[in-house]
Amino acid sequence: MSLTTRLTLLFATGSSVVLLALGWLIGASIERHFEEQDRDALAGKIMLARHAIERISTPQLLAQLPQQLGDAIVGHHDLLIQIASPDKGVLLASPNVVFPAQWLATASDAPLEPLFKWSHDGRDYRGLATAIPTGMAGQAPLVVAVAIDIEHHQMFMTTFMHTLWLFVVGAAAATGLLGWIAASRGLAPLRAMRERAALVTAHKLDQRLPVDAVPAELADLAATLNEMLARLEDAFRRLSDFSSDIAHELRTPVSNLMTQTQVSLSRARDAASYRDILESNAEEFERLARMISDMLFLAKTEYGLSADLVLAHSEPVDLAREVRDLFDFYEALADEKGVRLVLLGDGLVHGDRLMLRRALSNLLSNALRYTPPGGAVTVTLSRTPTHCRLAVENEGETIAPEHLARLFERFYRADPSRQHASGEGTGLGLAITQAIVRAHQGSISVTSSQGRTGFFIELKQA
Amino acid sequence: MKILIVEDERKTGDYLLQGLTESGFVTDLASNGIDGLHRALTGDYDLMVLDVMLPGLNGWQLLETLRRGGKEMPVLFLTAMDQVDDRVKGLELGADDYLVKPFAFSELLARVRTLLRRGKGAIEASVLRAADLELDLLRRRVTRAGTRIELTAKEFSLLELLLRRQGEVLPRSMIASQVWDMNFDSDTNVIEVAIRRLRAKVDDPFEPKLIRTARGMGYVLELPDCP
Repeated sequence: MSLTTRLTLLFATGSSVVLLALGWLIGASIERHFEEQDRDALAGKIMLARHAIERISTPQLLAQLPQQLGDAIVGHHDLLIQIASPDKGVLLASPNVVFPAQWLATASDAPLEPLFKWSHDGRDYRGLATAIPTGMAGQAPLVVAVAIDIEHHQMFMTTFMHTLWLFVVGAAAATGLLGWIAASRGLAPLRAMRERAALVTAHKLDQRLPVDAVPAELADLAATLNEMLARLEDAFRRLSDFSSDIAHELRTPVSNLMTQTQVSLSRARDAASYRDILESNAEEFERLARMISDMLFLAKTEYGLSADLVLAHSEPVDLAREVRDLFDFYEALADEKGVRLVLLGDGLVHGDRLMLRRALSNLLSNALRYTPPGGAVTVTLSRTPTHCRLAVENEGETIAPEHLARLFERFYRADPSRQHASGEGTGLGLAITQAIVRAHQGSISVTSSQGRTGFFIELKQA
Repeated sequence: MKILIVEDERKTGDYLLQGLTESGFVTDLASNGIDGLHRALTGDYDLMVLDVMLPGLNGWQLLETLRRGGKEMPVLFLTAMDQVDDRVKGLELGADDYLVKPFAFSELLARVRTLLRRGKGAIEASVLRAADLELDLLRRRVTRAGTRIELTAKEFSLLELLLRRQGEVLPRSMIASQVWDMNFDSDTNVIEVAIRRLRAKVDDPFEPKLIRTARGMGYVLELPDCP
């Protein structure tokens, strides 16, 4: 069921219930009011009769009673009276009226007799009966019954209830309509959001839902959806950047390979030349394969898949030991370049040992590449209360600030001319290092000034 | 040594067949899972090279059925999916090793030889030899033509690896992993440098040259064809 229909029904039902309750309350009040009114009138008449009856001290006075009261009462044609004596029968009675016998029989002199109600000859009456003692000795109390024809009350109530019902039905319909209008109007922002959301496609992920233009209740939803869109946009952008990076980076080596192979095939050559070409191709293919596996590794790490992997393979990692092992690995290279490798301090972290080793290896090979002969690469491990800090510093040309910020980007090379120089990496090393550090909830930064460059990693202490 | 290759990609299958045959193995190729399983169950193979993504019956299913059928030959998985889960799954199902595509043929060959050698209980020689080069594992000494050669610990391990796998082309990644326990490709020429330094001590002052560079593939220690 649509939200508008639900709200409309809810409005209509709610208002009907309220109106019905109100109608019932009003009806009951009026009814009671009429009853009170009747009681007052009847009690007044009884009082009148009581005064007259109590003054009766002789049979003459008793005989005059009908005359006396008749003048006072009988004139009101909707007021009925009957006075009876148990021994002398009916003394006075309005015409065309029959009081129910059981009411008369039970009449007493109690101050507050209940009103009784009955119908006779198609008309409704409400009455009061009292036994009033006379002032005459030996005379039994006279039973005085008065009644009011309540036909006009009933008519009024019937008309009133009728009107009320019509009103309730009308009001329910009206509130339903108003509810429908209100719901449609109130839900208009939702429709606006829907229309905006419909504009979001893979090519237009920059669309956002209007947070300011929607009511407060929806603003949160809109904001949450916007955050989701932002994350999607970011992921999507990175994905498409990734694809175009791959395409771009693969284009040069693939076109080299293709050209070289086609040129080689263009005429017959001796076996040695073919061998040479194939070997050269093999080297290039190896580089391509490495780039692909690096890209895959990076993709997994960057897209958070590795956060789970890190957890799955988490173990205490002695950073000093890892660095020493890596020094072992790079020893020959450093020695050949005349670069010293220095390790200071120690530190223990939790993480995936292989991944961390790879991250450090990239930093070390990077530092080695740019350290001039006679220089040193220094790895310093230190501890803050919560974190382990690892610094890889080397002497070398200062990196300009505009390059510094972009060093961790994929395939970014500060010096474009070194793009495909032999011995160069795939241009993914630092990006991979950053991705690994991030997968470990760590941070990485770089500084470079006055001929010293330093990479700093912070990881949670084990 | 008989090897069964189960690979649906025709080019890959053909070059694996050619490469392994030329390396001295008796090799059969099956191009789908059903055929592969049938041959593996009926033929007498020493090793199987198995692609994961296969038509009919995938590599995992094939491996499971094979192991249930009581075949215990080593299985080397080839997977294009660089996902640790897949590797773990393969290894849990009883694969012995895996390679992620794209891989170097030299790497595959080296792994195949390692798997075939495994469990053969080869007698551990205490002295490894090639021509006049001798490496004494117990005394940690290397001599060539009777001359003592001083090597660092890592150079010793590197030479040991080359000698143990004489005649096999060892890819750089394998050398890095076996000698330094670095299980990833370094983007530097560190292996090249290490080999160069080893050569300077072991090969340069002597004839014949034993350590050869197989361009685009790796390094191999072998006696030259023509003396």
